[in-house]
Amino acid sequence: MSNNVLFNDLFLRQDTWRGIQDSSNHKVIATGYKNLDKLLLGGWPLSALTELVTQQDGIGELSILLTTMKHYADKDTLCVLLNPPHQPYAPALVNAGISLDNLLIVRCNSYKEWQWAAEQSIRNQALLFAWSTPIQPRYSELRKLQLAATDSQCPAFLFRPPAALRAPSPARLRIALEHKRFNILSVNLHKLSGRTPGTSTDIILGNPSKERIQLNKLPVNIYYPQLDQLNYQLSLKKERHN
Amino acid sequence: MKKIRPFNNKNQAIWLYVDLPLLPINAVITNMQTPPEEKPIAIVSLEKNARRIVCCNQLAKHWGVEKSLSLSTALAICPELIVFSRDQQQEKQLLQQLALIAYRFSPEVLLDNQSLWLELSGCEQLFYGYQNLLKKLHQQFLSLKITANTGVGETPLAAKLLCGDIFHQNLPDYSHIQNDLISTTLEKLPSTKKQQQHFKQLGWSTVGDLLNLSHFAISKRFTSELIDTLQLLKGQKPYTLERFKPTTEFYDDIQNPQGIYSKESLLFPMKTLLQRFCHYLMARQCLCNLLTWRFEPLIGEHQSMTIKLSDSQHSWSSLLQLSRLQLERIELPQSIEKISLFCDQFSEMPGDNFDLFGNQLKKSENTSTLIDKLNARLGIKALSRVTTEAEHFPELASTISSVTKKVSSQHQFSVTQQPLWLLSKPAPIKYYNQTLHWQKPLTIISGPERLCSNWWQSEQQRDYYLASDNQGARYWIYRESTNRQWFLHGFFA
Repeated sequence: MSNNVLFNDLFLRQDTWRGIQDSSNHKVIATGYKNLDKLLLGGWPLSALTELVTQQDGIGELSILLTTMKHYADKDTLCVLLNPPHQPYAPALVNAGISLDNLLIVRCNSYKEWQWAAEQSIRNQALLFAWSTPIQPRYSELRKLQLAATDSQCPAFLFRPPAALRAPSPARLRIALEHKRFNILSVNLHKLSGRTPGTSTDIILGNPSKERIQLNKLPVNIYYPQLDQLNYQLSLKKERHN
Repeated sequence: MKKIRPFNNKNQAIWLYVDLPLLPINAVITNMQTPPEEKPIAIVSLEKNARRIVCCNQLAKHWGVEKSLSLSTALAICPELIVFSRDQQQEKQLLQQLALIAYRFSPEVLLDNQSLWLELSGCEQLFYGYQNLLKKLHQQFLSLKITANTGVGETPLAAKLLCGDIFHQNLPDYSHIQNDLISTTLEKLPSTKKQQQHFKQLGWSTVGDLLNLSHFAISKRFTSELIDTLQLLKGQKPYTLERFKPTTEFYDDIQNPQGIYSKESLLFPMKTLLQRFCHYLMARQCLCNLLTWRFEPLIGEHQSMTIKLSDSQHSWSSLLQLSRLQLERIELPQSIEKISLFCDQFSEMPGDNFDLFGNQLKKSENTSTLIDKLNARLGIKALSRVTTEAEHFPELASTISSVTKKVSSQHQFSVTQQPLWLLSKPAPIKYYNQTLHWQKPLTIISGPERLCSNWWQSEQQRDYYLASDNQGARYWIYRESTNRQWFLHGFFA
């Protein structure tokens, strides 16, 4: 092979560092949130491993990925949920427009199986959402996943507990998610090539107008807990009926 | 230059007769892991209380060993002779395999004791010429280390009579065939000894002499059997051997009397069996759904292993990989004597999908390969899918199903927000100090949504609320109307 061809191949790879030159040849997929796209230089990096660390479960870490999941499910790519913490709720996914045909849930008992399943899913061009088991993967195993991801056309997402941030990791993108205020998620960037760590942005989740109607607005004469929006105090009133 | 067509008439049948003179030897040797090479080999069988040679290879013939010699004579002539006893079962199996291979080249295959016929007239275009066809067929036979000689003719019997010592490279010319047929000696024609003597008395030595006579003259002098034979030769009577058809189920096995002790050495016979299986699938043009392996020791219980496959084309190497993955998980008895592969569940091969402009649409094969691999290593219970049901209650609306079932999700767009995770069993929430408690105090954010169950089954009515704790995690909780108890049902991820 001539040198030219070799160099071209090297530059086309996603993980070659090119000095001062703009290294944003990386392919990305839009996240669906403009603030986040700006922060991540375009969107979720393709052919790379992304680590998401949440201080608290249930603040919206999977919701921000729903648009990406829908995008790949529409293209008939298999989405693999590896060791999810609970069972996914199907109607919610259908609401988001994701076809359940292309969703696969895999549960592994041992760490070795988890590692193997993650690698196989990435190698077979599937979109991977993995929750690391109680045993946290070591640097070398994460590196294997990152290398496998460079050959695939899809991103790969790994959810890890907060303690994982202290250890180094070969993933291309590492972000921490925090809850700021109601419906507002704060995204802190820990690692991304081309950005200084520590930058953060806010994402507004959900649409308050889609929330359910406050019952006190319904034409029914029942007293129910009233929410004080400003400081989340719950004041209960005694009910009259029943 | 004028193109020489082997047969003038386009509708003329071309029969290729393939003789397998060393079939008994090949049948015994193919299953051996270390076949003896470059040695004189002979096969004996018990006939009338004497062991006689049935078949011997070229080297043995050089020494002078021949058919129907007794075993002691043969050993006396050739002390280095390696002798095996005849295995008719293996010969039949080998013949079936070869018939399967021949079936890929021609739709009409006839089987005899030690030979096959192929009908080649329609197959020229598919193989870009008869020369190519013969070359490929020869290569197939050589890859299995089988010696074969061929003869070409217009009718099956003619082809048999014209069988020579070599595998034809080209189809011979029509006139050549006629000449050869005419000059074949009468001894080759299937007839009784008395008839042969009769021919000699009449001064006939070749088939041509016999064919020159009119039908009336022959019928006066000879029996009807000879007339039948001549009619078969000329093609006036069709050959009544049954056409070969691949069986509806596949079974094959390899025996290893020495016993296999490790999983690695199992892979070699498994590979051979899978290759034969893939030939079978190609001949039948279908896909396999379920493969069953059986490992039998000399004494004791056998161990079987099933591999379930999704609808996609598999080569023998990917099947071997899947078998290997599953083999790691099972326990095998000490020494395996026989490995067998069985399959009787097949499905149609899906036709190619083309879009409007004739470009082939490729549905991702990676998906089914991945599912098969995960299935093989982790077991079918580790994989699942979610489906929706037309139910109001959330735990019934979302169900888990196995990976093989096709999922049809009904679109139920609801205005309210739905949680992404659902607890399989609702967890009770404590209510004291005028607040709801589940590991942390919860506050309700938005108002209720009432879901009622089937009233004929239970009186339950649930009011679902969106709640959150002071760290921002959002929960889906509900309160039952009957006992006014609060429960946690889901998380918003």
